[in-house]
Amino acid sequence: MELVSPGLGLIFWMTLAFGIVLLVLRKYAWRPILNTIREREMYISKSLRDAQHIQRELAALEKLKESKLKDAEKLRLELLAQARNEADDIIRLARQKASTDVTQMMEDAKRAVEAQRKSVINEIRGQIALLSVDMAEMVLEGELKNKKASTDLVNQLLDKVILN
Amino acid sequence: MLLRCGESLIFRYLRKIIVLVFSGVLMLSATNASAAGGGHDEDGKFNAGDVIIGHILDSYDWHIMDIGSTPVSIPLPVLLMYEGRFYFFLSSRFHHGHSAYKGFGIAHEGPKKGRIIKVLDEELTPDPQASFLLDLSITKNVFSVFISGFLICVIFISVGRRYQRGGSQVVPRGLQSFLEPIILFVRDEIALSAIGEKHHQRFLPYLLTLFFFIFFNNLLGLVPFFPGGANVTGNISVTLVLALFTFFTTQLFSTKGYWTHIFNTPGVPVWLKLPLPLMPIIELVGVFIKPFVLMVRLFANITAGHMIILGFVSLIFVLGSVASVMGFVISPLSLVFLVFMNFIELLVAFLQAYVFTLFSALFFGMAVPEEHHH
Repeated sequence: MELVSPGLGLIFWMTLAFGIVLLVLRKYAWRPILNTIREREMYISKSLRDAQHIQRELAALEKLKESKLKDAEKLRLELLAQARNEADDIIRLARQKASTDVTQMMEDAKRAVEAQRKSVINEIRGQIALLSVDMAEMVLEGELKNKKASTDLVNQLLDKVILN
Repeated sequence: MLLRCGESLIFRYLRKIIVLVFSGVLMLSATNASAAGGGHDEDGKFNAGDVIIGHILDSYDWHIMDIGSTPVSIPLPVLLMYEGRFYFFLSSRFHHGHSAYKGFGIAHEGPKKGRIIKVLDEELTPDPQASFLLDLSITKNVFSVFISGFLICVIFISVGRRYQRGGSQVVPRGLQSFLEPIILFVRDEIALSAIGEKHHQRFLPYLLTLFFFIFFNNLLGLVPFFPGGANVTGNISVTLVLALFTFFTTQLFSTKGYWTHIFNTPGVPVWLKLPLPLMPIIELVGVFIKPFVLMVRLFANITAGHMIILGFVSLIFVLGSVASVMGFVISPLSLVFLVFMNFIELLVAFLQAYVFTLFSALFFGMAVPEEHHH
């Protein structure tokens, strides 16, 4: 019977002891322990979130880097092509300019030669006129004196003209 | 090299050596059993029932062993209040229950057997006109509760300090890393799953204290010598107090939903409530049955475990008192069963602490129902 009949003294002391243990542990053990565990869990989950965030950012950065690299490559090729085109243009222009200059110069030279020729011809023409007049004078003079001599003279003069 | 060889050989046979030594000790004890003091009939025969009940029940002194026929025990303080007067003395005054002191003695029979009563004479005749005797003695179980309570406080305060000092970013070590999984187990598997996210934190300190108090006392009960060995969690008063704590906590925190569930259970046909309030009566009785079952379950489980272990020990002495040879024969077998039972009891120690805490948490969960439960 004693086995299943509770004793008042033990109930009293047990209530007291368990109550004190409960209060003491609640204040000095469970509160710091549970708080620290909760803090740690929060820290861990925050770290995990941060890590994920950083990973995502890193991936975005990587993508950005790749696209930037691709852009730069494209730009380089474009610049290169442009430079080549420009160089080609410059050369072509230079060539063009050179050829036009040459033709111009040649035309100028031609014109100068022509002008000189014309002036020379004019001069010759004048000379010839003068010479003809002189010759006619002399012929007329020789005719008047000697037929033969005048013929010779004319021949002589003509030779001179031709030689000139 | 030779030394290491010898060492490994010793380790290999250590278990066998221990078994041999212990069974040897038990055999010697068995042969001396009939000469020992405690647990014997008047004719000197070993009485297993008395030994087992004596070990399971509370007592006014802490019996350690018998040398010859002289019991060696730690006397504990007796604190009595009778007719407005306090009496305070050591239990050694009773001479192990054989004599009276200041008119008090330990009853040998009757409904108060084993407890202090008012007696008339040195023959320990109960006083039929005795008024109410308040017995607040520090008995074996009270003393054991003090020890285990102190132990729990020391352990968990030191662990708590380590948490506080280390902060949240320090890896647990030592005792802390051993206890943290259990604390987390109580928090996640018991409190959180039974009460719910919203309210579980309010009950956590109680549930943790309850769990470790029962667990530590269960384990201490398995240690066969001082300061263990007292059958604390197998004592009905102790489990009664624990169950009452759970009962009052449940009522203290109960919400309107809890009482609605009892007196107007949702989802139950009206004819079960009116005119005869069948369901409300059943539910109301259930409120008291729940802690009662808690009390009986822990008490019965732990007491039964102690009884079985003590039974196997007593078997050696019982057979040894019949014939010494039988004691020798039975002791190794009994030892095997004892070791096996101790392992089972280790499991039970944890399991019962878990069950008691889990059911308490479930009752709290009913007291503070979360809206979506219905």
